[in-house]
Amino acid sequence: MSISAVGDVIYLQGPCRVEDAETLVALLQKSRKVTLDVSTCESLHAAVVQAILAFEGQIVGAPTNGFLGEFVVPALGRTIQP
Amino acid sequence: MTDELLEAFLIEGRELTAQAADDLVALARAPGDKARLDRCFRAVHTLKGSVGLFDLPAMGRVLHVAEDQLERLRRGEGDGQGLFEPLIEVVDQVDRWLDALERSEALPPDAAEVSQRLIDRLTSAGAPSSVVQQTGEIAIHYAPRADAYFAGDDPMAIIAGVPGLRDLKVSPREPFGDLARYDPFTCNLVIEAVSTAARTDVEAALRWVKDQVELSIVAPVAAGAVENGEAEGFGRTIRVEAGRIDRLADLTGELVIAKNGLSDLASQIEGLADGRAIAQALRAQQARIDRLVGDLHGTVSKVRLTPLAPLFGRFPRLVRETARALGKSADFEIDGGEIEVDKAVVDGLFEPLLHVLRNALDHGVEAPEARRAAGKSETGSLRLSARTVGEQVLIEVADDGAGIDPARIRDLAVARDLIAPSAAQALDDRGAVDLIFLPGFSTASSVSEVSGRGVGMDAVRTTVGRLGGRVEIVSRAGQGSTIRILLPISMVLTKVMVVACGDERYGLTLDDVVETTRVPADRIVPIRGGHAFQQREQVIPLVRLANLVGAESHARGGAERVVVARVGDEVVGFAVDAIVERMDAAVRPMSGLLAGARGVVGSTLLANGAVLMILDLQELIP
Repeated sequence: MSISAVGDVIYLQGPCRVEDAETLVALLQKSRKVTLDVSTCESLHAAVVQAILAFEGQIVGAPTNGFLGEFVVPALGRTIQP
Repeated sequence: MTDELLEAFLIEGRELTAQAADDLVALARAPGDKARLDRCFRAVHTLKGSVGLFDLPAMGRVLHVAEDQLERLRRGEGDGQGLFEPLIEVVDQVDRWLDALERSEALPPDAAEVSQRLIDRLTSAGAPSSVVQQTGEIAIHYAPRADAYFAGDDPMAIIAGVPGLRDLKVSPREPFGDLARYDPFTCNLVIEAVSTAARTDVEAALRWVKDQVELSIVAPVAAGAVENGEAEGFGRTIRVEAGRIDRLADLTGELVIAKNGLSDLASQIEGLADGRAIAQALRAQQARIDRLVGDLHGTVSKVRLTPLAPLFGRFPRLVRETARALGKSADFEIDGGEIEVDKAVVDGLFEPLLHVLRNALDHGVEAPEARRAAGKSETGSLRLSARTVGEQVLIEVADDGAGIDPARIRDLAVARDLIAPSAAQALDDRGAVDLIFLPGFSTASSVSEVSGRGVGMDAVRTTVGRLGGRVEIVSRAGQGSTIRILLPISMVLTKVMVVACGDERYGLTLDDVVETTRVPADRIVPIRGGHAFQQREQVIPLVRLANLVGAESHARGGAERVVVARVGDEVVGFAVDAIVERMDAAVRPMSGLLAGARGVVGSTLLANGAVLMILDLQELIP
């Protein structure tokens, strides 16, 4: 289980795979005002990235994975409306 | 889009396409010319930027790809073989689209299709070869297919595998739409990234999805150079609508006339008791105004000078199209575009030059087989050049074709009843060649679709004549023809008053005219064998213009129409039958046999092609 919700925070943990996109979308469709915590995330499948992009999820946390922390999180932050 | 913006874009766009086409043609011959390549890139780059101001996606897309390809060449990638020709086509197409925009403010319906075809040609011609070693940064544009997730691809993992990543951007390929119906498994992403790795390594990392990836070269350093280059290119100039300049010129002309009245006023004041001192002061002031008006006149004429380059720049494409339509090939060379001439001349020359160039390709330059048989290179040569000759500019269109056969011209002119056989035989060869300028000659002869547009060489001669110039043709059998157009550089338009004496019309320069008036017969008195009339305390001698020029007069008796004019130090009334109109005309000095004609300063052409003599009143007065 790499996606879990606690209150208004959704935790993305470990490797997030293509099937996790469905879970995430379901959560995001329920409550749009959520924060996505990626601090313990190891990788994000493109389908998950795309869902975050579509629902304009607010990202917090600095993942240790280089590609994720250096490129993906900033790229998602770039497109999110303030 | 606003009209003004579009208008400015059309002007600038034409200059840029002309510039780019010119450079590309030269580059096709000498691909190593770095300066030309840079300049061409800048032109296309600027053009693409300007297109962005309007909603012209078809034009923007193809220019974008063209710019990319030029950029590749600038980075030393590839030698441009096979690329220049499609690039020229792109620039020509853009130029055609500019014409369409001017006509209908929209691109033709097939624009998107044409654009895509050109893009395909550009990208296939410019496809990178496998051995290219690239040291610059690589831009990656990766648009995974919609079924990528189903197919088991993770585009994120794929891009993560690209070596030397420096930047990443993700965006939806299409808007997400209604999020309540969001499908998590349909891929809707565009991934853009920059890599500092070698191109071959990037290609290797993306080899499984290469059909969904576009690579291009990023050049941050070059971008800076472009900005600088453009800044240098800007002179301290402003674009002013031509109508305003014309208005300025008109006002200056009116000022000249108003100023002329002062001198008459000074004379009248001089005649008054105690008027001498005031008259002198007035004359001094008048001399000053004279000088200023003269200066103003000269400056306004200079403002109207514009370089020939934008006009010349419109022809390369038209020449290429014409040559293609005729199945001929010709190198087209342009020289002297930097020469500045009056705006009216630049504006008026497009049609005549186009006709002359088409004629040269149609009737001058031979078909490739004929050229080979004549021992010439298959590619003809066509040259449009301008140079100044004193106060005039000489524009020449020279071809290295077959030349004009005087015997054939004689036959054609006789066959078309334009000239009697005996008269034709009496002409020397040069005179015979000149027959092509007769009305009805070329319209009938140009059967081909290209030059037969109902405009003949006679129209060329008339148009050039109205601009104050003349056309002649020099031809050598087998070696080609040269059309020479000699025009005034500064077309200072002279204000002319057209008067009638009997059936004849004459022009008087308005500079001389003080006023026009009607004088009742009873105010005309005979004086010493002549006549005179009194006006505002002044006795003005009256002469009949018809008598001076030897014309018939339809004098009706009763009141006389009189033009009061200054002749030397005197004011003289000239009785005419009618005052027809005032006009602005380019007055040409008399040439040839008439150069020594007394009483004539020059001539100008009326709208109907008739010649109007401009009289020199001073010389006419006995």
